[in-house]
Formats: sequence, C-alpha cells, structure tokens
Amino acid sequence: MNETVQRTVATHSWVTEKLLMGLSPREYVRALVTPGNLAAALILLVGLPVISYRFLYGLGAVTNLSQTNPWGLWIGLDVLCGVALAAGGYTLASSVYLFGLKEYSPVLRPAILTGFLGYFFVVVGLLVDLGQPWRIPYPVIYSYGVTSVMFLVAWHVFLYLTVQFLEFCPAILEWLGWRNIRRWATRLTIGATVFGVILSTLHQSALGALFLMAPTRLHPLWYTPFIPIYFFISSLIAGLSMVIVESALSHRVFRDQIDPRRHLELDAITLGLGKAASVVLFTYLFLKLLGIADGGHWELLRTPFGRWFLVELIGFVLLPCFLFAHGVREKNVTLVRATAALAVLGIVVNRLNVSIIAFNWDVPDRYVPSGMEVITSITIITLGILTFRWIVNRMPVLREHPEYRGIH
Amino acid sequence: MIPHDLLTMASAKAMEYLIAVAFLLLFIPFWRFVNAERVADRVVVSEVARRRGRVLDWFLVPDHVYFHPGHAWARVGDGGLVTVGMDDFAQKLVGEVSAISLPEVGARLSQGEKAWSLVSDSKSVGMLSPVDGMVVAVNEQVVSSPGKVNLDPYGDGWLLRVRVPRLTANLKQLLSGNLAKRWMEEVCENLRRMMDPDLGRVYADGGLPIHGMARGLNPARWDEVARTFFLT
Repeated sequence: MNETVQRTVATHSWVTEKLLMGLSPREYVRALVTPGNLAAALILLVGLPVISYRFLYGLGAVTNLSQTNPWGLWIGLDVLCGVALAAGGYTLASSVYLFGLKEYSPVLRPAILTGFLGYFFVVVGLLVDLGQPWRIPYPVIYSYGVTSVMFLVAWHVFLYLTVQFLEFCPAILEWLGWRNIRRWATRLTIGATVFGVILSTLHQSALGALFLMAPTRLHPLWYTPFIPIYFFISSLIAGLSMVIVESALSHRVFRDQIDPRRHLELDAITLGLGKAASVVLFTYLFLKLLGIADGGHWELLRTPFGRWFLVELIGFVLLPCFLFAHGVREKNVTLVRATAALAVLGIVVNRLNVSIIAFNWDVPDRYVPSGMEVITSITIITLGILTFRWIVNRMPVLREHPEYRGIH
Repeated sequence: MIPHDLLTMASAKAMEYLIAVAFLLLFIPFWRFVNAERVADRVVVSEVARRRGRVLDWFLVPDHVYFHPGHAWARVGDGGLVTVGMDDFAQKLVGEVSAISLPEVGARLSQGEKAWSLVSDSKSVGMLSPVDGMVVAVNEQVVSSPGKVNLDPYGDGWLLRVRVPRLTANLKQLLSGNLAKRWMEEVCENLRRMMDPDLGRVYADGGLPIHGMARGLNPARWDEVARTFFLT
C-alpha cells in the first residue's frame, strides 16, 4: 500500500517536473493563456477539422488539384520548402562534428531540432497530400519501386528522419535523466552525422531530380539538367539563413533560458554564418547563369516569366549575397539577420516557382490553391512551431543541462 | 533557335566557359570585399599591439588567454597548471587598489564562484574564478604591492596558479580569440552607455578611459558599478 502511494507520488512529481515545467496543472493551464497561444488555438480549431475533412472526402473536396496540376501548395510549400529550410541540421552538424568548427556548437542543437521537426512535418504534409496514412511505410517494407525517384525520396526521408532523431537523442535522454543510454547515443553522433550528410546531399538533390521528369512542363528558364545541383546548393543557403533567423528569434522568445554570455557568442556566430551564406549565394548566382547559358535561353529573359526569373535572381540571390557580405564587413548583425530573412523568403519563392508558378506555365488550366489548402498549410506550420516550443521549454536545446555542462 | 545543333552548342559552351572564368576572376575581389574589415584592422593595429594581442578600445585582449565574463583570465601553462588573474578592463575599472585578498594555497576554487577580493576606500569587491581546481601558488608580490596588477595585468600581475582537474570542460566555458574580442567590444559598448555626460572628456567623446573609471562613473558607489561588470 505504502509502496503504491510512493510510486503515485513519484509519477506525479515526474509529470510536474518534466511535462508541466514545475507548475501545478492549474498554474500550467493558466500560463497557457497568452495572445500567441490563443491565435495558435484559433488556427488549429479551424485547421484540424479541414485536415479531417480532407481525409474523409478526399483531395477533390478540399483542393484545386487536377490531373494537369497534381502537385500543389502542400508539395510546393510544406514539402519542398520544408525540406530546404530543414537543411540547417546537416549544414551545422557537418560544420561542427566533421569540420571541427566548434565555435558554432551553441546553435547546433536548435539547428538539429529545426531540421528534425522540419522533416517530421514534411512527412505530415505528405500524409495529408497522399492520403491513406497506413500505406506510408509501403516503400520501405513492402513495395520496392526501385526505378522510381519517389522510391528514392521515400527512403531518404525515412532514413534521414531516423538519423536526425538519433542526432537529437542526447537532448531527449538528458531531459529524461538516462545517463547510460545517453552515453551510447552520443557515441553514435559522428556516424549519424556522416550518414546524415550523405543522405541530405542525395535527398536535397533528389527533390530537384523529380523535375527532370517534367522537362516540357517546367518553364525553360527554371528547367535545366543542373536542377538537382541547384536544389542542393540552395539548400545550403536555406540552412545557413534559417539557423540565423531561428537563433535570433529563439534568443528573443526564450531569452530567460539563455546564459547572457551566449548572446555575445551568437553575434559572432551570426556573422560567421552570414559570411558562409554570402559565399554560397555568390557561387549559386553563377551556377544559375550557367543554367541559362546551357539552355541558350537568354532571349526568354525579356518575356514576363523572364522578368519574374530576374526578380528571383537579382532580388533573392544577388541582393542577399551583397547584403550578407556588406553586413559581415561592417559587423552589422542586424543587417545580417534581416538578410537571412530575405534569403529564406528567396528559397520559398524559388521552390514555389519550380513547383507551382513556372510549372505548367503554358497550360490554360492554371493552378491556384484553394482556401482550405492554405489553411491546411498554415495549420501544419503552426503545429511545427508549437512542437518546437514545447521541446525547447523542456529539453536542453538552447541551454546546457547542468549535469552535462561542457561535455557536449 | 534550334537547341542542340552544332553552332548553338558551341556558342552555349563558349558562354559557359566565359561565365566560369568570370566567376573565378570576380571571386577574388568578392572575397577581399567580405574580408576587408580584417585587412583594415591589420593596418591600424600598432606593432606593440600586434605583439601583445589586439587593442580593443584600449583594453588589452591578448591571444592565448581565456576570459571569464566576470573579467578574470586564465592561461594554460606547462604541466597543465593554469595561471589566473584579473583582466586589463578590470584593473582600469577599479584603478589603484589598496589590497588584494587572495585565497590560500590549497584552497578549492569553483568556476563562476567568488575567488578573491579587491579592497579600496574600505570597500571590498569580489571577483569570480575562471576555473575549478586547487590553488597551488599565490603571487605574494601582488599581495605586498597590489599596483603590479595595474602595470602588467597579464604578466607580473598574475594572482594565482591553479591545478585544474577538468581543464577541457572548464576552457569550453571561457572566451578566447575572436569570441573574447567580440565580448570585449560588447563590454565597451555597455561602458559607453553608462557614461554620464557630466563626466568630462573621458571615453564616449573620444578620450581615453581613465584608471578607476568606476569611481568616475559613481564616486560614492563605485563598488556597485564594479560588481555589475564583475558579475558578483
């Protein structure tokens, strides 16, 4: 009897400490009532029924997709942009663990978490797009379509999600207080990082390779045999910029969790990441020019689509490249952060151009996403942000766990 | 245009080569542009400063020294012993001290915990230890003539030698190299913000920092100003 009482008390304190952050249930619920949470609740209140409706009545009831336009906002935004913006995980992990740039380790865990959640919600987006969620493991365990690029993509996402989970495991195990398992998980980190870099290189480029199958559907300025390379190189830009944006926001939102010294470190880290991003953007700009030259499409630049292409090239590649370089040179951290936001927007524009705007550019049946598609996308992004916050508030992501200080 | 006839291919390839060569040629000025700030620094830094480390707004931040945010420093010497002291900013902030109270040989220090005190005007200000470990030597010369910390804070003005069991873990918590310089810039910025316009021509308007800046900022409660910077 006494033992049962002790166990109940222990369970209760575990729930209070680990899940409710030391608050009583009533205090916890009261703490949840904030303007941000109310906005999130409103989005979920509308969005979750829309997602349920999609599963019950199919794509036709919710989306503006058709046989001509089978891929819409969910693939363009949730999958293509989600994967690109999750690239901070492998970019930072390879910088810190493989290239030995230890000064970037303070932003490594948030980057890995962003990467992991990015991929996780890519899968959620895919589930909503594909329907029949119970079939999602088929390419992995049952139906091997080895000649399909989709088969490649499915395996990459499955393996990379597993690898990112392993990379993030030390933080989960520190939170749970499982020291011995954490020691083993830490030993796996280098192997997981190497495997993760290989998978990401393949996977980011494989998403571009999907469009190699549609040479006549994609506008010639965006279609080039280099498109897998573009997707990979631009994912580096997305990853670096996303880490800058995410760390700036986290240091503002979760300010109380962070050692004041980390704020100083973050400025130096931001400048370093900004410099790397400017160099990658500079290279990417010339690669894009090579793509136009290779196809011999210079004259298309004078068409309306050509002008939009130039907006992407000048406004979202050349301009951030210069602004990053200028910001780093002047040690202007605010400018570097603003430029990172511009670069993130540029990646979104690029992926939407390739998958929606310049796709089926010459058919009369142009795709415009329906309201319910937009709501679903916003709901999935909101779920991602809420999950990120839930984890950061509990696990040692931005702060070091006191028992493991200095031994990451 | 026919996309893949021979002439079109040749001109396309020529254009690709031109773009590749242009990339290589333009990358050089681009790289110099991104790194221009460092080049400018090298010109400005004097010969002495180059030998001792970079002067950041008149506070010495030597290379190969690890800094604690409480303005203590640590340098790893032969045999893994760590020499510890107060940094140039700290000695300029406090100015001349009448006594330094150091822990005894054999005392245990903890990183981020109070380790020694500076006494001036019958007021005492504590400073934090940059490392964990056991004190194996105390600089008696500094105890007898505390002015040594003002003359050479990173040399003869050292305070303690400490045997540090968790050296790697301890050093990870400290700032060195570019991070230390960046941190010192931030500290200088904080100092500028605290400057009183009535203080006279000392720093914010282009003058040099004076010894005992804390007294200049607040003569009656200079110890509180010092504690703000020393995190005690």
